[in-house]
Amino acid sequence: MKEKLMEILEELRPDVDFEEEKRLIDDSVLDSFDIVSLVSELNDAFEIDIQVENLLPENFNSAENMLKLIKKLQDEN
Amino acid sequence: MNKNVLEWLSATVSKYPSKTAFRDTDGSITFYELYDKARRIGSALAKITPPKKPVAVISGRTVNTPVTFLGVVFSGCFYAPLDANQPVYRLRLILETLDPKLIVTDKAHFEFTKSLGFKGEILISEELAESEADEAILSKIADGACEDDPLYVIFTSGSSGKPKGVITSHRSLMCYIDAYRSVMNIDRNEVLGNQSPLDYIAAIRDIYLPVYTGASTYIIPTVYFTSPVKLFEALDREKITCIGWSVSALTLPTSMGAFNHITPRYLKKICFSGSVMPCKYLKIWQEKLPDALFVNQYGPTEATASCTYYIIKEKVKDDDILPIGIPYRNYKVFLLNDDNTATAKGQKGEICVSGPILSLGYYNDPERTAASFIQNPLNGVYRELIYKTGDLGRVREDGCLEFHGRKDRQFKHLGHRVEPEEIETAAGKAEGVSACAALYDGKKELIYLFYAGEASPKDISVYLRKILPGFMVPRKFVKSDRLPSLPNGKTDIESLKKYFE
Repeated sequence: MKEKLMEILEELRPDVDFEEEKRLIDDSVLDSFDIVSLVSELNDAFEIDIQVENLLPENFNSAENMLKLIKKLQDEN
Repeated sequence: MNKNVLEWLSATVSKYPSKTAFRDTDGSITFYELYDKARRIGSALAKITPPKKPVAVISGRTVNTPVTFLGVVFSGCFYAPLDANQPVYRLRLILETLDPKLIVTDKAHFEFTKSLGFKGEILISEELAESEADEAILSKIADGACEDDPLYVIFTSGSSGKPKGVITSHRSLMCYIDAYRSVMNIDRNEVLGNQSPLDYIAAIRDIYLPVYTGASTYIIPTVYFTSPVKLFEALDREKITCIGWSVSALTLPTSMGAFNHITPRYLKKICFSGSVMPCKYLKIWQEKLPDALFVNQYGPTEATASCTYYIIKEKVKDDDILPIGIPYRNYKVFLLNDDNTATAKGQKGEICVSGPILSLGYYNDPERTAASFIQNPLNGVYRELIYKTGDLGRVREDGCLEFHGRKDRQFKHLGHRVEPEEIETAAGKAEGVSACAALYDGKKELIYLFYAGEASPKDISVYLRKILPGFMVPRKFVKSDRLPSLPNGKTDIESLKKYFE
């Protein structure tokens, strides 16, 4: 799952080191537009339905947190 | 008649001294505090710089930033706000053109500003605001002020790869703010929600409407724009009544379903600009806020933010295309053909602007100024400068103007205007790029870079992040052995466009 996520992130923003960055949102590394593209890609790739309530900085600040969110949403299914 | 924004501020502070002017997540400032601090900053600056000089400002998204801007204005100088988030390379290019003797920054950006290698003096606004106001100096400066003094210089994308500094005078700014105020019917009871970065042209409404009318502005944290629920909760919590946002700032929360969670109850007036509004999103806004006023606004920085406005009275349908409307008060807008003759009724022509809202030109760039601001070719009898926008328009039967795209390759992305040549100049310098072309896929709102060479997308992307502001860095890269070319050797842009079909 992590590999797939990293692939999506790398494709979205090849210039960002997603292994290291822990403040992707707080430091405006990803902008609102990145988030929109990312959400639709994650929804498709992991068969989840990210809700507007899930769009919080803490869920997207790092790849690790995104993984947690994906797992949580998959479990809820 | 008021000759500058400081006279507006004086009038407002005498009426509403203890009313909030600006607010952010950490605090707020009243009109009296704004006036007092700005006068202190102005007095301190006036002791080290003559008036009518540029002062660069690097400052955060806080109430302190409008204070600093007005402080510079009290010193008789004009400010050039610089976004600290843009690459150092670009900041240096801008400083080269601006050639200021002073940069005023805030405590939070002092270390960063020092790292720019600036030769002049760097001052900290919070410290300047501690010094005493000097009434004698300030009133001497006020006596020497004219309404056509520059107020600010805002840098925008330049096709040569060098950003252009558009200079706006006090008069132009006051004409625009007054015209916008009357269309939106704004008074002291309004609470404005600021979205635009404070260094960007769209922020002038959020900064000067309070100064003019006594309204308040809440500076919304950038991070809320990635969390639509937080954004809408903030609009509600802060009782925001009026917003002037970029189109993308309005469409993103809608596309992510923010209205399913909360409706901002106090919001009554919504103006948008920067690019073409997709009506499928506007429709949702209209449904959720049926009593609100919606205004589509159009215009370039060279004509002080905007030229025309369209009040949307109809309920829009998904595929509607909004007109850009009629000129604001004190704006003259008309169409010209390529051969500089008047465009016939109902035909397409280049949108041209004149009037007191016309910019003073590009700072320290007489050549580009002379090329862009020209004598009205339809007027051979007295001096009348116009600005040719490069946009195409057509006047409808009812007098309303429609927007029909660009004459050149410039495009609008997330509310910012982008010259693809600036991206190409930058990418062309990256190692392993032998040829490149930047194109915009307007449907997906993505910048593409088509290129030939050894470099990987990651190489180019990392390199460009050091040179261009983030919004200008292409998100999609298409590598090929060679780019299609025209007989004259130039890249065949039209054939590349087929990629998006």
